[in-house]
Amino acid sequence: MPDIFLLLAGLFLPLFPLSMVFNALFNRAQHVVLRCVLLIGWPHIGLAIIHSTETTVPAWLITWALATSLLYALRMLALRGVGQWNSFLATSMWAMLWLTTTDMNQEMHHLYAFGVTTPLVLLALLSAGLEKRFGAAYTDLYGGLAQSIPRFAGVLVVVILAAIATPLFPGFFIMIKFILDTSITMPVATFVLLAIWLLWSWAGVRLLQGLIVGPASKGEAADLNLFTCWSYVLVLIALMLGGLYLSGGLL
Amino acid sequence: MMSKLILIVIFLPLLSALLMHLLAGQLGRCVARISVAATLLSALLSGVLLWASLSGDLVEQSISISPWTILYFDSLSILMALVISLISLIVHIYSLRYMAEESGYARFFVLLDLMTASLLLMVAAGDLITLIIAWHFVGVLLYFLLGQDTRNPSAYRYAFWTLITYRIGDLPLVLAAVLLFQAYGTWSLPIIFEQLSQAPTAHSVFGLPLPEVVGMLIALAAFARSAQFLLHTWLPYTMDGPTPVSALMHAGIVNAGGFLINRFAPIFANTSDVLQWVFIVGFVSAVIGSVLMLVQNDIKKSLGYSTMGQMGFMIMECGIGAFSLAIYHLIAHGVFKGTLFLSAGSVINSARKDDGVPKDELYTFVVERRPVITRKPWVLMAAITLAVPLAILIVSHWFVSEDYFQKQGAIVLLFFGWITGAQLIFATYRTHAQNLWRLVMISILSFTIVIIGYTFISHAFDVFLYPDAAFREKLFVAASIEKIRFDILVAFITLTIVIGWLVAYYTERNRNGKRPRYTGRLWTMFYALISRELYLTDLYSLLTRNILSTANKLNVWLRWN
Repeated sequence: MPDIFLLLAGLFLPLFPLSMVFNALFNRAQHVVLRCVLLIGWPHIGLAIIHSTETTVPAWLITWALATSLLYALRMLALRGVGQWNSFLATSMWAMLWLTTTDMNQEMHHLYAFGVTTPLVLLALLSAGLEKRFGAAYTDLYGGLAQSIPRFAGVLVVVILAAIATPLFPGFFIMIKFILDTSITMPVATFVLLAIWLLWSWAGVRLLQGLIVGPASKGEAADLNLFTCWSYVLVLIALMLGGLYLSGGLL
Repeated sequence: MMSKLILIVIFLPLLSALLMHLLAGQLGRCVARISVAATLLSALLSGVLLWASLSGDLVEQSISISPWTILYFDSLSILMALVISLISLIVHIYSLRYMAEESGYARFFVLLDLMTASLLLMVAAGDLITLIIAWHFVGVLLYFLLGQDTRNPSAYRYAFWTLITYRIGDLPLVLAAVLLFQAYGTWSLPIIFEQLSQAPTAHSVFGLPLPEVVGMLIALAAFARSAQFLLHTWLPYTMDGPTPVSALMHAGIVNAGGFLINRFAPIFANTSDVLQWVFIVGFVSAVIGSVLMLVQNDIKKSLGYSTMGQMGFMIMECGIGAFSLAIYHLIAHGVFKGTLFLSAGSVINSARKDDGVPKDELYTFVVERRPVITRKPWVLMAAITLAVPLAILIVSHWFVSEDYFQKQGAIVLLFFGWITGAQLIFATYRTHAQNLWRLVMISILSFTIVIIGYTFISHAFDVFLYPDAAFREKLFVAASIEKIRFDILVAFITLTIVIGWLVAYYTERNRNGKRPRYTGRLWTMFYALISRELYLTDLYSLLTRNILSTANKLNVWLRWN
């Protein structure tokens, strides 16, 4: 693969420090639609570039990708902004997509990207909902969402669980697939993947605790209406089914 | 027909959770009765299945829904399904009134039902992926159950400790599953076990035999789930959750480590060094859990450490090859620990009115420290202390199996039984009772009943769970060590314990004498160490703070991008 393509792909399937471009863009994008478009489109551009060249990805690049993923997973632990957390998780997940670039058909590869990104899109929407209700989407700022807006808090919990690769959601099966692929050929990578998975869980729980736990905040905030709530539920069910579909091909 | 029943047992709690969620708005608090009814039905059906299994109507079988959705029904899964559904039923009934004043009543029962379903799925999992999924869900659901009171950050703080320890334990299980899949090309447990028994040494990982590596990983996952030493700190601190959750956790969830080791018994039967390590970890956990329990001034924390000690014993039993005994232990422990937690509230309530402590010989010795009135000859008592428990143990085990004493694991069990019995009579002697013979006789009688019951029931479990005598023998062989090393170890431990007793005796005798300065200082240091729980929680907190601080510094250096 020519270096220029490699560099370009490293921008969209983010490799540190190129990953800073996506994070800067995402954090500057104030409008939720723009954020969703960025999330949905960004990794697919990278995948398209890689598949257009049909060259084997060198091993050192996979190491670089894993290091990027680990770096962002670690950095997520200290974040308080939901938006930033979202973009860091996206970076950490997309960097992992380099692991399967050599042996997978393009459609499946895009499905992977779609599977890990959809919960992040939902989280971006919820983050916008928090900003609308409280003026900001930060942990430990108001808290107590489980008390003040229980329906919203319930959806937030499931979306975060989906984002950190909890079973039945696509992320879980994709992680199993990555671990399966690396366990024989790159055992060190397997341990790094497990560490990243653990860090995601840790970061996810910190985010949850900072938002839903505690006494209800002062002031009225409208909860999700039933229609919106069921819409989220349906998307999450579809994601689960998608996860099960992916597992059919993967496992 | 039976296979359909099996599916219904798992499906019922799931259906109940869904109904609870949908109908909570219309039915209010009455909705919890759906949950109780579903769990009752699940327990009844599990009972029917166990009965069918005992009477030979239900043979070992697996139901394959997809390559990685297999339900496997053998003696172990059916027995565990009954235990889980019964404990869950008791917790459900108890919670009906206990949680009535709490917010999130319906949510609590939904989570309880999902937890029951996950546990049932875990014991019935016939493939590695289903097992991982259920194993993972148990951790996540426990986190939310412990944090039932969403206004209480403290409950969530310690629920987080639980979750993160469980996640640490999930990872070795994932790794073990992946290695098994790479070796055998299937996720199905029965197929893997079958292939493994045909050619145990066919596969290796980086030069090590596959069963050794996988066995070690499985054991690690079990250690995290069963609060073994270094992975135990979450257990004594998760007391801010509702009492029914504590009961469910201590009576059921924490025992999952013992189940997991039993589920992978065919792997462990083909290992040579893993079970010895399992024994050591269990032993250390049992000793440390018991020591830490003694210094706690908070009764719930004390119960937490007691559970850690019990889990240590359970793991230790696996380590000596007595797998079925571990299952019996986890059931017995589940029953008594569940009772302790569920009755804790009423005990506290009645203790407020009357402490209820009888002013008998034990009380006067422990609390009032009354002096000795009459003493029996010490040598006679020492002889009784050492000989009687040993005689009871040997006779009861001889009835079960004549070749029992050929197995190292059995001797270790015998050894622990002897220590326990001797300790009981020794402690009775130390109570300085006026009617010492009566107390000693009562102690011996209780010990005899316990040992005979334990021996016969554990033998029944052995035959039910592992009917193949050759396989049972294989497990004992896998757990055994070189004879000379074993003899030296037993002699050393015996000597240590006897010396300990002698020291305790002379200390007691010279109670009024001044303690030398160096022993006083050593004692204070030891007490400080164990009262701070070996500084492990401080160490882990420091580690956590450092990781978070590193993450923060990285973010600042990289300008948060």
